[in-house]
Amino acid sequence: MMNIEIPATNRTPSVIFDFAVGHLRITGESYPEDVTTFYNPLFEALKAWLEATEKPGCQFDFELIYFNSSSAKAIMIMMEMLDTAAAKGMNVVVNWFHDPDDETMEELGEEFGEDLNHAKFHLEKRPN
Amino acid sequence: MSIDDLFSKEEEVLEDAEAIVTDATFANEPTRKSVLSLVAEYRKLLRTTRRMMRLSDRNERELNSLAEKHRLASDEVSRKNQELEALSAKLAKYLSPQVYKSIFSGKQEVKLTSRRKKLSVFFSDIAGFTEMTERMEAEDLTQLLNSYLSEMAQVALEHGATIDKFIGDAIMIFFGDPETRGVPEDALACVKMAIAMQDRLSELQSEWTRQGIREPLRCRIGINTGYCTVGNFGSEDRMDYTIIGGAANIASRLENQADAGEIYISYETWVHVQNGINCEKVGEIQVKGVAHPIVTYRVLGLTEQTGLSTKMLCKKQHFQLYLDPSSMTPKERDESRKMLEAAMAVITATRPRNSHDT
Repeated sequence: MMNIEIPATNRTPSVIFDFAVGHLRITGESYPEDVTTFYNPLFEALKAWLEATEKPGCQFDFELIYFNSSSAKAIMIMMEMLDTAAAKGMNVVVNWFHDPDDETMEELGEEFGEDLNHAKFHLEKRPN
Repeated sequence: MSIDDLFSKEEEVLEDAEAIVTDATFANEPTRKSVLSLVAEYRKLLRTTRRMMRLSDRNERELNSLAEKHRLASDEVSRKNQELEALSAKLAKYLSPQVYKSIFSGKQEVKLTSRRKKLSVFFSDIAGFTEMTERMEAEDLTQLLNSYLSEMAQVALEHGATIDKFIGDAIMIFFGDPETRGVPEDALACVKMAIAMQDRLSELQSEWTRQGIREPLRCRIGINTGYCTVGNFGSEDRMDYTIIGGAANIASRLENQADAGEIYISYETWVHVQNGINCEKVGEIQVKGVAHPIVTYRVLGLTEQTGLSTKMLCKKQHFQLYLDPSSMTPKERDESRKMLEAAMAVITATRPRNSHDT
């Protein structure tokens, strides 16, 4: 499966999905003009990869500075996909990195983590 | 593609439920009503969530837009500030630093107001300047004058003076406003500045001689301490921060009376500086525009340096001497020594006039 590499813009995050090793990463700010145009291809790629028969475990790193409400929903959708895959036996680790001074991002990470029932979730401070 | 796509899963679940509850059979009527109500409330909740998300995103876009406008405005303000800073730096050169500082810090109001304060006022001009203007080319004269005024202004600022104005070759300075260290301290600083100016002028002389200016530049200085009216004078559109009053007039008149290279101070200044400055009484001088005579002193140098000073100045009725050996060439030194030896011989050989002689 083709890896995905999207550089960051001032409104969208950097995306690196290295499917070969199972390391997926979203970094930066997210408030796209049209959230579905940006995230739908990612949903489809992630869904297809998670449904593939041969795949390594998955480590998904979220390292976000800021995101809007619809991006929050997009993140929830991806987390739900990951949790569903974990429920089916896949080794899934979700890391949520946030700036040590950013309490909002820390609280959001805690809330997202609460929705994960099967994937392993780590909340970590990491200076930007 | 709309934002609703983010809720496709919720929509799918709800549509399935709606399809089922319509035809489903329930145990009793209350159960049917409860399930129908649950599905209806879920539909309502989904609609509200979508609406709130759209509202949140729209608010976020507006905030971003405002932030961008604020950033642009801030950049513009910053650019304007830089322009104003550059402009005010240029304008500052037309004002004394103390006056500029007091205006820009908000301590000084820029309107036509004045107040009475005891100041030490200084006037100086170059002896024989009018004749120099006739002999020198305008360009050379401009260069010389600017060099002289720049050096004197530098000395003035080093002593904390407020430079009032330059009037051709003349300089008007005062101490005691907008900042004062106390009347005696201001008077002492003013006289010390005058001595430093004369010393600096001597140092500059050799430099100017090398540049081809043959005649030495020597300045006359007058200082007086007294009450002046200080403030903004002029019109609301064009004003000068300056001083007026009899005390300033006396300083100007004393400067007129002084010889080249001399500093004349009034009694009112002398009383404040007598412990720090070595002076010689000139006497009472009648000056134009002042009814009473002005008791005047000639400044000889700083008291603590008098013993070390190489300069000598004496003005008696039958004996006048100005000696500045440190500025002499070896030839001038030999000539001066011979002249003083001859003077000593003459004074020894001459019979003193009897006090009864007429």
